[in-house]
Amino acid sequence: MGKLSKQFDALVGALSPELYRYAMGLCHNPDVAQDLVQETFLRAWRSQETLRDVKTARAWLYTILRHEHARLYERQRPDVRDPHELPDVPVRGYDTSTEAFTLRRALQRLEPQYREPLMLQVVGGFSCKEIGNMLGLKPNTVLTRVFRARKMLHAMLGEDKQETAHEMP
Amino acid sequence: MKCLEFRRELLQDPFAASETLLAHEAECEECARFSRRTRAREAALRNLLRAPEPPPELAERVRLAIRMEQQAERRRPFWLAAAASVMLAVTLGLVSLYERHIERGHMALAQSVVYHIVDEAKHLHTPGPAAPQRVREVFARFGAQLAGDIGQINFAAECLMRNRTGIHLVLQGEQGPVTVFLMPGETPARTVPVETDRFEGEILPTPWGSIAVVGERGEPVEPLAVKVVSRVRWGARPATGVAGLAQTGGQKLAGRISL
Repeated sequence: MGKLSKQFDALVGALSPELYRYAMGLCHNPDVAQDLVQETFLRAWRSQETLRDVKTARAWLYTILRHEHARLYERQRPDVRDPHELPDVPVRGYDTSTEAFTLRRALQRLEPQYREPLMLQVVGGFSCKEIGNMLGLKPNTVLTRVFRARKMLHAMLGEDKQETAHEMP
Repeated sequence: MKCLEFRRELLQDPFAASETLLAHEAECEECARFSRRTRAREAALRNLLRAPEPPPELAERVRLAIRMEQQAERRRPFWLAAAASVMLAVTLGLVSLYERHIERGHMALAQSVVYHIVDEAKHLHTPGPAAPQRVREVFARFGAQLAGDIGQINFAAECLMRNRTGIHLVLQGEQGPVTVFLMPGETPARTVPVETDRFEGEILPTPWGSIAVVGERGEPVEPLAVKVVSRVRWGARPATGVAGLAQTGGQKLAGRISL
């Protein structure tokens, strides 16, 4: 069988773990997450001639995975778990504490327009400009969305009442 | 910097550390408290989202999938890539789609074999040989038997694979353990190679399903594969799927994979 190019092989090795974490954040299902990562790299491999700059490969792969998740959801509404259900097969590092459950549920309650930029910032560590490019938004819009996402999360998790008395933005 | 501005900036990026931000935090107790709470929540969020660990062989699975796709593309007849007319292009496209569909199925089967081996890697190190009675019992659940010696069997169990039950064996190869899956109902159109950085082998079609024989790279699996294929006698009514589980009285399964 053929070998992958060294560059692509390095991408697979380096980025599979974080793409898996991003996929888990989207679908909460380890099997679906693995399938999403695999399909993402397959699509990327088929289109690798369109990749002009290895530095942008990370953002490109995240974007592909986002689209794959959306397509999967549109096609067959896969077994995207309710965040309070634990995966059938134990996932290493999957926090099963009450606090984690509460946080996961709150995150899932955010509308996609707020949740998506927040996850790209937290999981991927992307800048607002990069997130803007990936989502087709202006950087200032991304800033507003992540701000509102956190504000809503804090409200769902129960803000300190003193904060509201101090004139929250 | 005003408090409103401070909190907005912090909620945009809780671990931002601009000088103006830090200066305001140092002089405003309320905002300093807000900052501590916000950063604690952000740390919890990061831990939650960044923690899940992928299975150790995920990257290998991806590489295998790409290699299988490369192989599928190389097998496509040359004329498929040179459509001369719209009708020919449509026809070729349909044939190509069909071939791709078949190859994707083969790819998924090969992946599931590797994934199952890795998932149950502990059985590769089971000290053998397994008791002959145990091996006979496992085969008997499927109405099957071994009509001759296939070498030393170190592990034998019933397994659930892609929603069908089958037999999982680990044989002693020349160099190390060799995994054999007897998969009733899994019917590839041809012999499917299995190749990763660590494993190599093949999946051989049979009248009742297929047999996967996979060892570590460098292991000569073909002689073992020939023995296994020629000496396994499969029963008329293999126990497969949920009905099979009921027939076997819900015997304990050795493992589970899903794709």
